[in-house]
Amino acid sequence: MLLVCLIAFPFLAACFSLVLRNKRLLALINVFLYAAMLALGMGLAYTICVKQPVVVFERLLRADALSVFFVLLITWVSLWALVYSKGYLEHTEEGELSARKKSLYYFFFHIFVFSMLVATLVDNLGHLWVAIEMTTLASTFLVGFYNNKTSVEAAWKYLIICSVGITIALLGTVLLYYNVVLHAGIRSLNWSDIVSVAAQLDHRLLVVAFLFVFVGYGTKAGLVPMHTWLPDAHSQAMTPISALLSGVLLKTSIYAILRFVIIVDKSLEVNFAFTVMLYAGIFSIAVASLFMLAQKDIKRLLAYSSIENVGIIVFGFGIGTPLAILGALFHCFNHACAKSLLFFSAGNIVKKYKTHNMNLIQGVLEVMPFTGVVVLIGMFAIIGMPPFAIFASKITILVAALAQKYFLLTALFLLSMAIVFAGLLLHLGRVVFGNKPKTIEPSQDALSVKIVFIILSLYLVLFGLGLLPQAQVLLNKATDIIRGV
Amino acid sequence: MMYAFLLGMMMFAYSMVITRRVTALIRSFRLQSLFLALVTFSFAYKAANLEIYIVSVLLVMIKVLGIPYYLRRLMEKINIDESLGLFMNPLLSLVAALLFTFVSSLFAIIVLRNQDPLICISLIIAMVTMFIGFFIMVFRAKAITQIVGLLTMENGIFLLAAAITDGMPFFVEIAIFFDVFVCVIITGIFLYRINRLFTHIDVNRLTQLRG
Repeated sequence: MLLVCLIAFPFLAACFSLVLRNKRLLALINVFLYAAMLALGMGLAYTICVKQPVVVFERLLRADALSVFFVLLITWVSLWALVYSKGYLEHTEEGELSARKKSLYYFFFHIFVFSMLVATLVDNLGHLWVAIEMTTLASTFLVGFYNNKTSVEAAWKYLIICSVGITIALLGTVLLYYNVVLHAGIRSLNWSDIVSVAAQLDHRLLVVAFLFVFVGYGTKAGLVPMHTWLPDAHSQAMTPISALLSGVLLKTSIYAILRFVIIVDKSLEVNFAFTVMLYAGIFSIAVASLFMLAQKDIKRLLAYSSIENVGIIVFGFGIGTPLAILGALFHCFNHACAKSLLFFSAGNIVKKYKTHNMNLIQGVLEVMPFTGVVVLIGMFAIIGMPPFAIFASKITILVAALAQKYFLLTALFLLSMAIVFAGLLLHLGRVVFGNKPKTIEPSQDALSVKIVFIILSLYLVLFGLGLLPQAQVLLNKATDIIRGV
Repeated sequence: MMYAFLLGMMMFAYSMVITRRVTALIRSFRLQSLFLALVTFSFAYKAANLEIYIVSVLLVMIKVLGIPYYLRRLMEKINIDESLGLFMNPLLSLVAALLFTFVSSLFAIIVLRNQDPLICISLIIAMVTMFIGFFIMVFRAKAITQIVGLLTMENGIFLLAAAITDGMPFFVEIAIFFDVFVCVIITGIFLYRINRLFTHIDVNRLTQLRG
């Protein structure tokens, strides 16, 4: 029941946004539904931590600790993106939107969230593929929403590159299915079935299938060198959507990869899948950190930072020890919060200064004191300063890497972190401090925006001090699933 | 008979590589899809499986009739010149296609080892079709070739799914169809927008976003 409601709510919200004309009522219903989804997610997490995975409709939907972790991530970030959207849509970068455009925006927003939730809650790997492709289709409109040259170009690249990637992932899925039919003798694409017969699969075919899947979903996750669509799409999308793309969508693709990793790891004696992730991760970190130094566009800078953080997460999973996987999962959540915070504040700044160019944006602290402070918090959080939560997750991954004696990789990791540190400090430092341009008048932020900022900052500080025991239980359970215990 | 249909798929994959005009490309795509539908149909006949029959009918409806018609309409509407904008001339492209065939054969032999020759050939043609789809996405300038390229890649996967697994689970297959359909509509919409904003659909001239 929990599961069905969880999936039905964003769908309901999408229908409402097309039908209802009363704006205030609609906003109220939206926020209510999303808060309810978050509560349902927590309820689901509680049920699973106590009992077995939840299954409904003859295993059409299935939730275990790993999927619930991602459900919580999606509902948490999308709730705040929704609240932020309200203030944002009043004055976007392109001025006031018409009522029709607004309802379209909400429609695609809900469909986007819906498809991400479906992706994490289906058992069938074919359905997983369809849901991930749905996320691309729904979010393309939100990337190209302003319908100007840059955003349409970004949307086109996003759509085409991700569709090709996902087609390759489908090839991998078909090969896996063939493997299952031929060697395990069952005609099923359900993940839970495949895992139970993983030992019987043909190794060579499985490795090939996994590589296709990894490249395919890796494109969507923004791993270097398949990342080329990401800076365009994330910088041109509407701000709340940028936060969703960076904070949640990338992780949904990582979730898809993880499902396959578990199968491969169960089947092969060697750590093949984890090793692939390890090197793909470190490569993404190193390349993205160099790109960050050269950015001029504030949202592109944040997009490259997302590539780097996806690299950290994949690197963490690649180490493969319980500690590292725990750190990587924790980092998923932390990065989502810090990056949403940064994108939201960048959205405010861009709206105020009417440019993305960081050379023209200076003195935010003077012009918008609240946003300026938030940018500082977000910046220190994302580069992993204590006491913020990202510090905790990064140090966990580092310790795990050292414990596995990956000295060279750890050194590379630290070097990249230093470059990221320098890059962000250089760029955002100038944006926040510096002298404000004469033409721009100081202003205040909307209340809903402030609430979002405060809650996300609070999360980053509180979880930097320590995990809640309940969160610890959930993370441990998810870690066990990834390790195939 | 099945081998003849497979050969047809292969031939029209090659003809997509050497063509210079948009209408010819769409026609080749349509014929390739027709042969794909025929292959699927004969697999359905062989396995006596109702679900695969339905899939082949859907293939005819969507990929042979629906999508090519939609693409034609789109081209008429945006009224763009016929040439594809080749970055690589047809002869070199054909050489590349032969190279793909070689690589795919090697891949099929290594991965499948001693399987049924029909399955082996199907895998080879599926891989060639995917390679060629990808190739025309990269080496042709017009945005519409990217749509056709993507659809061609999917043709390859459909062939593979029909041949080596007797079709994916039915519900999955339907969902994938729906997805392909929506994807084409959306790319069409964006193609239209690109044409209106840039007054051309050359992808290599979309260079506003860099770095």
